Amino acid sequence: MTGLPVADLLVLSGALLAVGIFGLLTRRNFILILIAVEVAMNATILNFVYFAAFAPTAAGLSGQAIAVVLIGFAATEVAVGLAIVLALNRIKGTINVAQATELRE
Amino acid sequence: MSLEELAFLVLAVVAVGTGLAALLVRELVHTILWVSVFFVDLSAIYFLLEAPFLGVLQLGVYAGAVTVLLLFGIMVTRKRIFSRDAATGLGPVPLALAAVTFIFLVASVGEFPSAPTTLQVYDPSALSALLFGTDGPWLLLLGIIMMSGVAGAIYLVREGRE
Repeated sequence: MTGLPVADLLVLSGALLAVGIFGLLTRRNFILILIAVEVAMNATILNFVYFAAFAPTAAGLSGQAIAVVLIGFAATEVAVGLAIVLALNRIKGTINVAQATELRE
Repeated sequence: MSLEELAFLVLAVVAVGTGLAALLVRELVHTILWVSVFFVDLSAIYFLLEAPFLGVLQLGVYAGAVTVLLLFGIMVTRKRIFSRDAATGLGPVPLALAAVTFIFLVASVGEFPSAPTTLQVYDPSALSALLFGTDGPWLLLLGIIMMSGVAGAIYLVREGRE
């Protein structure tokens, strides 16, 4: 049986979310933006795991189930994001999002 | 301070450090290396939180598949994979927004107990019974989303759309 303070864990996920938002706003490379989104998404998944770990009843197991589903969602999101990267690279010749300013192909 | 708290502190510092390093280094391949350390570190946190099923999933999906997928993306879109990324300005607005987010979240943490709480230990087989059981459509939902995602990805990269 291990014991951990809830507050410390929440500070960690808050810090990771801040790092993700920071990366999302500063970087212009599409792949780095995807990584920033992944970092922020991992912060939210961590929250689900914390609250499952601190739930007094077995109902907290749903938190871990949601975390499993979210990991799958994040993997799908990376796959779709990389498909967009490849399409953008083929059409524009660059994956800098600052240069992708029009919707038509 | 107990051993678990010390381990958590180290893992938390490594997580924030590698997350920041991944987003700040100039070479994209180094970003992937840092982010893979970040994913492995998070998996260690899951093991520490008595969630071994999620820890293994994190290792397999994130540290394994997502890292390789991102590396593949870099390989396809760059002529030389070690080429540097264009410099990005660390503007005051993104920094301020991230800081405000962090301060707001930390301020709202105050209601939670800061004394160590005993963790609930779940049997991984109970989790798989919940995932595969008939109580909730978890895996069905995941399957539908993943299948539509893969279909969308194939639609986006198929030949002859120019």
